[in-house]
Amino acid sequence: MKLTCGRAACAAVLFSGGLAQGAALEQVDGERGELPKYEKVEGLELKGTLDSVGSDTMINLMTYWAEGFARYYPGVKLQVEGKGSSTAPPALIEGTAHFGPMSRAMKATEIDEFEKALGYKPTCLRTCLDALAVFVNKDNPIESLSLEEVDAVFSKTRNRGFAEEVTTWGQLGLAGEWANQPISAFGRNSASGTYGYFKETVLEKGDYKDTVKEQPGSSAVVQGVAESRGGIGYSGIGYATSDVRAVPLSARKGKEAFAANIENVLNEDYPLGRYLFLYVNRAPGKALDPMVREFLKFVYSREGQQVVEKAGYLPLSADVCRAERELLD
Amino acid sequence: MVARLTSARAARTRKGEPWVYVTSGALALMLALLLGVILLLLVKGLGFFWPGELVQVVTRDGRTILGQEWHAEDVPASAGAAGEPRTRTQYRVGNRREFGADFVWVDDDAIVSRETPRDALFVERLTDTPTIGTLKETRRDGALVAAGAAGAAYEVYLRLADEARHERSGAGAPLLDEASCTVVFTLSDGQEVEIPLAAVVRTVRPNDIGLFDKTRVYAARLWEFLAAPPRESNTAGGILPALLGTVLMVLLMTLAVVPLGVVGALYLNEYARQGPLVRLVRLAVSNLAGVPSIVFGMFGLAFFIHVVGDGIDRVFFPGREAATFGTGGLLWAALTLALLTVPVVIVSTEEALRATPRAQREGSLALGSTRWQMLRSIVLPSALPGILTGMILAVARGAGEVAPLMLTGVMKLAPSPLIDGTPPFFHLERKFMHLGFHIYDVGFQSPNVEASKPMVYATALLLLVLVVILNLSAILYRNRVRRRLQGALF
Repeated sequence: MKLTCGRAACAAVLFSGGLAQGAALEQVDGERGELPKYEKVEGLELKGTLDSVGSDTMINLMTYWAEGFARYYPGVKLQVEGKGSSTAPPALIEGTAHFGPMSRAMKATEIDEFEKALGYKPTCLRTCLDALAVFVNKDNPIESLSLEEVDAVFSKTRNRGFAEEVTTWGQLGLAGEWANQPISAFGRNSASGTYGYFKETVLEKGDYKDTVKEQPGSSAVVQGVAESRGGIGYSGIGYATSDVRAVPLSARKGKEAFAANIENVLNEDYPLGRYLFLYVNRAPGKALDPMVREFLKFVYSREGQQVVEKAGYLPLSADVCRAERELLD
Repeated sequence: MVARLTSARAARTRKGEPWVYVTSGALALMLALLLGVILLLLVKGLGFFWPGELVQVVTRDGRTILGQEWHAEDVPASAGAAGEPRTRTQYRVGNRREFGADFVWVDDDAIVSRETPRDALFVERLTDTPTIGTLKETRRDGALVAAGAAGAAYEVYLRLADEARHERSGAGAPLLDEASCTVVFTLSDGQEVEIPLAAVVRTVRPNDIGLFDKTRVYAARLWEFLAAPPRESNTAGGILPALLGTVLMVLLMTLAVVPLGVVGALYLNEYARQGPLVRLVRLAVSNLAGVPSIVFGMFGLAFFIHVVGDGIDRVFFPGREAATFGTGGLLWAALTLALLTVPVVIVSTEEALRATPRAQREGSLALGSTRWQMLRSIVLPSALPGILTGMILAVARGAGEVAPLMLTGVMKLAPSPLIDGTPPFFHLERKFMHLGFHIYDVGFQSPNVEASKPMVYATALLLLVLVVILNLSAILYRNRVRRRLQGALF
């Protein structure tokens, strides 16, 4: 597993469906303090334009990294575009992007297409961890939800086996005025990796209800929930605001529920932890473009992982960072 | 009596008076809506830059909160619990990195004390959300320079921060962790944060300064908004690249659409034999104006980028791994919008061509001019105001379109300038930022949507102002042309 770390981890996500239960997280318990600082390569003058096309969840992360990296190499301009993880593979294949940030692993079909066009597989790098949170309005008194219940709220197929279709908060155990409050569900559009991840992991590949309001961005989901009293929606934890609350989740009804925070993702207690990936196009045997290489080194430096925290995500351990760094040379 | 009233009403109806009321009422409603939108944008957008009062409240459970009062609302009454309506207030407390969130809601009836400390600071930072707290000490190379929040220590801090800022702007973009001077702030919950002085953008003591100083801060912030590049994933700083991108794209679009539309209209109106085919073409052109803009975006992507752009790349840049023209860029976006707006120009140009007096045309021909000479020296000049009207309409439509741009090269962050000192100076193949897309991005994709919402309003206001300026200059030019034309009549 450790030898082909990056790609194997991606495959693990792909095949186990849920990442938190898989082996992928096992290495994330090292100390973060050991991360090396980013050292600017003396004498290396980088100049040029880099493009990043992909995940909307990671768009701010990429922008923060671009801003940080520009302090070392003002000549390197990173252009960031984020319309959804599904836009990353085509952009990498066409050569219109150097980086393909994705909030889910590439599907087998996407990898095949890449291989068909270029003759080798894309390089998959893990950049940080995210806790996908289920948000409700700040006034909502609900204490916790199980994945079955979340599935029944969002899915019409209910593959997790909840008994009935859930349309009001009363069915999830709320009493009083909330008993008849209809549930208003917000989700992402289908180009989004978060949409795909949620469908795979929570809905167990079931179908979304037609009533789920598909939003063009992660913070649009949060705003939707903030505005509507009976709202519920899913988004990366980095998008939390004071108008919404992330509900603690339990993997199964009756089990203990865990809040969406760093410790619980690390301990694999929180059921919706996931990696956020960066895909790059690297021909076997060929070195990376120095700009791409330095940028990725920055991502895996102490400064780069501090940016992760700033964006509201969970930094990698030093071990994982080292493993991913080795893929760069 | 009744009969007389009825006949009076009938008379009014005959004169058409009810229609006067209906039409003027509709106009009044439209104006009211327009004013409402502008007012909303003005209040929400421009209020953001004002240095608001910092309030320190202590709650019943002992928490201290220092921040700006941002928003207030009623707590929804829970069923059964009748009583006085309760309210709560949202405070902007800043320090997102330290607190985890930079906004917090507090029930008003849980507050035991409220004051406005004079030494409370609002510190805008280069790499994080603002710090709201009090000054503890300033250090140079780890050694204490000034301690406490009193006047003298504050002066020292301000002076050093100023020096650090000048150093920063002089050296381009130095690394913040190499900075020698740092400052320590105490936050409302007692934590301390130490940040490099070079990372301080602006420090304000909003409770301590008068109206004049507040106005100065306001002006400085407004200027930063207009003239600085964005920071913090577009939630802070300015919008200069988006502003430039929008202006350049609209100008480029105008350059493309006006000749294309005018030439098309000339042929349709002057050369083509009028018949069913031309009528069909005309109908098609008018219908083109109704095609959804995203369809044009798809055409731009498929034709300009994938056919023309890829072709250029193959011929002129073979062997390059990354696409140069075969990817979205300013040029392709402008051409796509030109296609989108060309029907407007054709229709209004045709209208103007038709309005040229027949006598003038015939007079010109009678004096022996060729058809082209007549067109060039008689028809086109008199049609110029109409052509300009078409251009104004095209600009108004093109400046506000976002959907086609999303497929043809608009970016959340495009740091490469569109105009710079390296040949060929105008980089039309580069990706660009756009005010309309910026509104969408900051509104729906921002990591810190509460703090950046006012930026959405401010950007929307700016886009509106920009369109008005572009249109106004075209209208002024058109009026000058009209006057000249009238002067030329004999």
